[in-house]
Order: sequence, then structure tokens, then C-alpha cells
Amino acid sequence: MSAPVLETENLVKVYGRGESRFDALKGLTFEIHQGESVAIVGKSGSGKSTLMHLLALLDAPTAGVVALEGQPVNKLKPKQVSKLRNEIFGFVFQQFFLNPNQTVLENVTLPLKIAGVGTAERNRRGMAALEQLEMADKAKNKATNLSGGQKQRVCIARALINNPSVLFADEPTGNLDTNTGEIVEDILFGLHRDHGITLVVVTHDEDLAAKCQRRLIMQDGLIVREETGSSLPAEASHQEDAQ
Amino acid sequence: MKSFDVARTAFGNTMRSKMRTTLTVIAIVIGAFTLTVTSGLAAGVNQTIDDMVAGYGEEDELFIMPAAAMGMGENTGPGPQEYDPEEAHQESEFGQAMLSDEDIETIEGIEGVTNVDPIFFVSADYLEAQGNQYKLNNLDFPANGPAMELVAGELPSRENMEITIPDTWLTIFDEDADDYEEIDPEIALGETVEIGISNMVLEQDTFDAEIVGVSTQNLAGIGGAPLPSNALNDALYEFQNSGLDVERPDAFVQAVASVENLESNEQRVKDALMDEGMVGMTLEDMLGIIQSVIDAIAWVLYGFALIALLAASFGIVNTLLMSVQERTREIGLMKALGMSSGKVFGLFSMEAVVIGILGSVIGVALGLGGGFLANGWLTGSGGPLSTVGGLTLFALNVPALLAILGVIIVIAFLAGTLPAARAAKKDPIEALRYE
Repeated sequence: MSAPVLETENLVKVYGRGESRFDALKGLTFEIHQGESVAIVGKSGSGKSTLMHLLALLDAPTAGVVALEGQPVNKLKPKQVSKLRNEIFGFVFQQFFLNPNQTVLENVTLPLKIAGVGTAERNRRGMAALEQLEMADKAKNKATNLSGGQKQRVCIARALINNPSVLFADEPTGNLDTNTGEIVEDILFGLHRDHGITLVVVTHDEDLAAKCQRRLIMQDGLIVREETGSSLPAEASHQEDAQ
Repeated sequence: MKSFDVARTAFGNTMRSKMRTTLTVIAIVIGAFTLTVTSGLAAGVNQTIDDMVAGYGEEDELFIMPAAAMGMGENTGPGPQEYDPEEAHQESEFGQAMLSDEDIETIEGIEGVTNVDPIFFVSADYLEAQGNQYKLNNLDFPANGPAMELVAGELPSRENMEITIPDTWLTIFDEDADDYEEIDPEIALGETVEIGISNMVLEQDTFDAEIVGVSTQNLAGIGGAPLPSNALNDALYEFQNSGLDVERPDAFVQAVASVENLESNEQRVKDALMDEGMVGMTLEDMLGIIQSVIDAIAWVLYGFALIALLAASFGIVNTLLMSVQERTREIGLMKALGMSSGKVFGLFSMEAVVIGILGSVIGVALGLGGGFLANGWLTGSGGPLSTVGGLTLFALNVPALLAILGVIIVIAFLAGTLPAARAAKKDPIEALRYE
């Protein structure tokens, strides 16, 4: 097994206090290894989104530790955390979150712009990412004029542009029809398989979860069950080859 | 994010809702326009005064009056004043205190004073030229010569019987012309005129004088009447006061003293004059009073413009708060993708600065355009103020304009800090959930 890229120890998240106190996470300890595909599965209210936010360093835990590549992040300054998010993570959202008034290329290159990369370099890498997802011909279009599947591909291109080591996908197929959803799934698992990107998928879709190597089943703020083994044949063989 | 990208993104964002940005910018434009016009007006009028000062060739002159005439010194005030027979002769018909021969000698005795020219009223009857006689109500004082603006010729020399005439009198020498402005002022030069004057017993005599210059009236009113040379003026004055057997003591409203090294001797001479009950003022002292009044008016106008800008700055706050609200998700996304709170703050305050720059540049440009056009129209030939010689209503004051730009940009930035702080404070998760 490779070294854990993300690990947690006794992770607790509490919202509110007193009467309105809500324990979203009740002490989770687990690891996610480099190159793994992990699904966090659960019904709404199970705490899966909260867990993803903590893993993605978008939120701070009430207690417990998140460590990135062996380094606890709770000691870091907000600015350093922002920098880590920009450099190490990619995000694919259910609602896409594309800026409608900007072009596809501008949307895709946003993380590089935030990182302070120059315009020429930005556009070159943006076009490369769009080509990878077969969206290069739409580069100059406004983001609003795209279909759902195209929007999600742009979103994936944006997530990939900074060569992240971990890709977080929050219900990536939630807003897509079955066919388009499958195409997007194929793209995500293809990236995982071919580029060794660590994939963390948050979903309540059993079929999508089944394609991941590992599933953390959540209920009421706890991981109630952990399953391994992927329904994807190619993935299994790849895993065996690797070992 | 690079600063260049911040600036470009901020500019792009302000252009997104053009209507809203335009309306906000208009408010700033109004403030910037008012500030620009005010600074231009103050600069223009002050420049006119400076031009007048520069027009005075001899800047080492002190204008001397009795302290009582200026409401200074002893024996003034609303209560009854003691009668002094010596002084009583030295008052004009209007009861104004005047300088005596003795005073003039005193002034001459002050160290540093090289020359004293008393100023006295000469009341001539007529000026005869080209066989016609023209009423001569008032003659200018020779001491005003250096301040006069000449359109042709030169100032009368001290010793010769010479005179200048205002350009409005040129019609004497060209009766066919409709307007004096069409006449070449050179035609009057070298002509001899005759000045008629009456003495105390109403005998009339005439004095010949050569026209050596043509003047045009300036802002101070100098140059609007014929100005005799010292020699001519003295001759006229002497005749005017003759005819009676009684010797009447001379009295002068004012005297002009030349002082060497005025800058270093100014205070000492002024103090010495004060001891003798007289007040000395330089040209700058006198014009400084006007300038400080103009500056005070300008500052009142600046104040109003700043109030307008204050109102406009709330427009910026309002616009940007709306913008932050509308773009909550976008802010959440940027923060999720690794943009620091500081950069988010920078981006939104930069948008305020962009609005400030747009408003101030447009306002200053409009102010300058409007100011120079109005100046050209009002003071140009045929304009309502064209008769006021040497008047500049609007002038370029680059440091003031830069200060205006700076002040507006700072105000815009300050107005942007509240919305920018709001944006920076947003929690990315909350912001992404925002519908």
C-alpha cells in the first residue's frame, strides 16, 4: 500500500450549541491512500458532505485532526490552507459552479489565475485540459450555452488544470441524465486509472459508489461499514498489476 | 493571483452590469467635475492676479497711506476725536486723512527708501486732439504706469510731457471705424494732444503732451483712462493749485516709495512707517487680500464638491454590496479554489477603485473641457467678459488635478472596503450553497 495522502483522527464536527446542537461527525478515523478511489456514501444528513468539506480543507473540524501527506493542517494559516487547496485538490461540483458570463476557457483556467500563472501559460494549459476532455472547440463559448454534460466536462477540466493529486467529486452525476452521467463517470475513473489521481466521490448513488475501490458507508455522523472491491473490471486488473 | 489579473478582473467585473456602474460613476463624475471647475477657476483668477503683479515692473514699491485712512493707528474709532489744527488741512473733501509734505520727507528719510512719489488728484477739463475737445473726467496716476497693460508704444518717461491713452479712445484718430477694436493702435503714437485745466480762480490753461502709448484696461481698472507722465502730472497739479494768494499746504492720498532690497527691508520700513502713523503695503499685500478672498471662495466650493463625493461614495458602497450579494457563489468558488481572503478583499476594493478612476477621469476631463470652452467663450472676442482686459477665468492647475484624482480614488477605495470585507469574510461552503 502507498502512503496515505489524507488521514483523519477522531474527526468531530458540531454545529450550533445547547438545544440546537447537532453532531454532524462523531469521531472518524480513517486513511485515504495515494491513487485510491474512495466513495463516501450515505443518505442526506448522514454527514458525508461535512466530511468532504473537512477533507477538502474547506472547513475546520471542531475536534480531531486532518493530515495532508502526513502533515496536520490545523496548525497552518488560512493563507497556506488556501494555497494547498489550490495546488493539491481539484473539485467537481454537482451544480458545476461555472461563471456564466465568462468563456469556457476562462472558467477552466480560474485555478491557475488564482495561483498567479501568466495569461499565455494559462491559456496553453487550459486548451490542453479542454482537448483532453474533447471540449477544445467550445473554448470561446460562454459557459451558459452548454448542455449539462458539457458543463460537467468543463468543470472536470477546471479540476484537472492544476494537476491535482486528489480530485473531490460531490455528486458529480447528480444533475445529469443516465447516459451523460455514465460518460462523466467514465471520464473520472479513466483519470483515476490512467493518471493515478486519488478520487474521493461523495454520492448517494449506489452504482457510482460501486465503481470505487473502497466505500465508506456513513450514517448519523459515523462510518457504519467499509466495503472494498470495485465493480469495474479494468480497475481491478489495474490494481492487481500495480501490486 | 497577480496584481495585473486582479486589476483586469476587477475592470471586467465592473463592466458586467453596465447600467449600475454607469449610474454610480455619474455620481462620482459630478463631484470630480465640480472639483475640477473650482480648481480651474481659482487657478485662473489667481493667475490673472499674478499676471497683474508681473505687469508691475518695479516690484520693490511700497504704497504708503496714513494709518488713519486704513482705520489703523491712534485717533480712530467711533468716539469723538481730538481736533488737531495741523492735521485738519490734510484731509480731502471727503474727510479722508492724507499725507503732508512733512510725511513725504519723513518717508524719504527712512533708510532703504530711494525715491518717493506722492500721488495727488489732478482734475483736468478736456483733452483736445484732431481739432476736437473731449471731456477728461479723470487722469490715471503716473505711479500706476508700471501696472498698466500696453497694446502699443511705451510708458511715458518721467521727465517729458507725455501721455498714454486707452484703446477705447482710438476712435478720435479714426472716425470712420465702427469699433475701436478694429483700429490699429499705432496710428495714435506720436500725435500731440492738448490738455485743458482750470486753476483755483477758474482760469484755464493748456498743456501739450505727446501720445507715446496705448493702454487697455486690466482687471484692476488700470489703463482705462489717459495716464500722464510725472512731468505732465506735476505741471497740471501746479497750475491747478495756483491763482490764490494763500499758500495751501500740499496733501496726498498716497505715496509710492521705491525701496531697495524690498524683500529684506520690507518689515523694517513698514515698522518705521508705522511709528510715524503711516501704513506701507506692497503690491502683494494688496493683491494678497483679493487672493485670500478667492481662495476662501474656492475652498467653500471644494467643500460642496466633497459633500457631493461623500454622497457618491455611498453609491459605491451600495453598488458593491449588491454586487457581492449577487456574486456570492462566485466568491465561494474562488475561495474553494484557493483564493485567499486577502485577494478577495483586494479584488472587490479594486472594483471600487476602478469606479473611482472612471468617475474621476471622466469628471476631470469634462471639467477641463467645459472650463476651457467657457473661458474661451466668456473672455474671447465678443464674449460677455471680453472687455475685462487680461482676465483668465479658467487655468490648468496640474498638481490640483492630480490631488483631485488621488482624493477621489482614495474615497472610492475607502467606500469599497466595507463590501470588500463582506466578500472576504464569506465562508466558501455557505457561499457555494447560496441560491
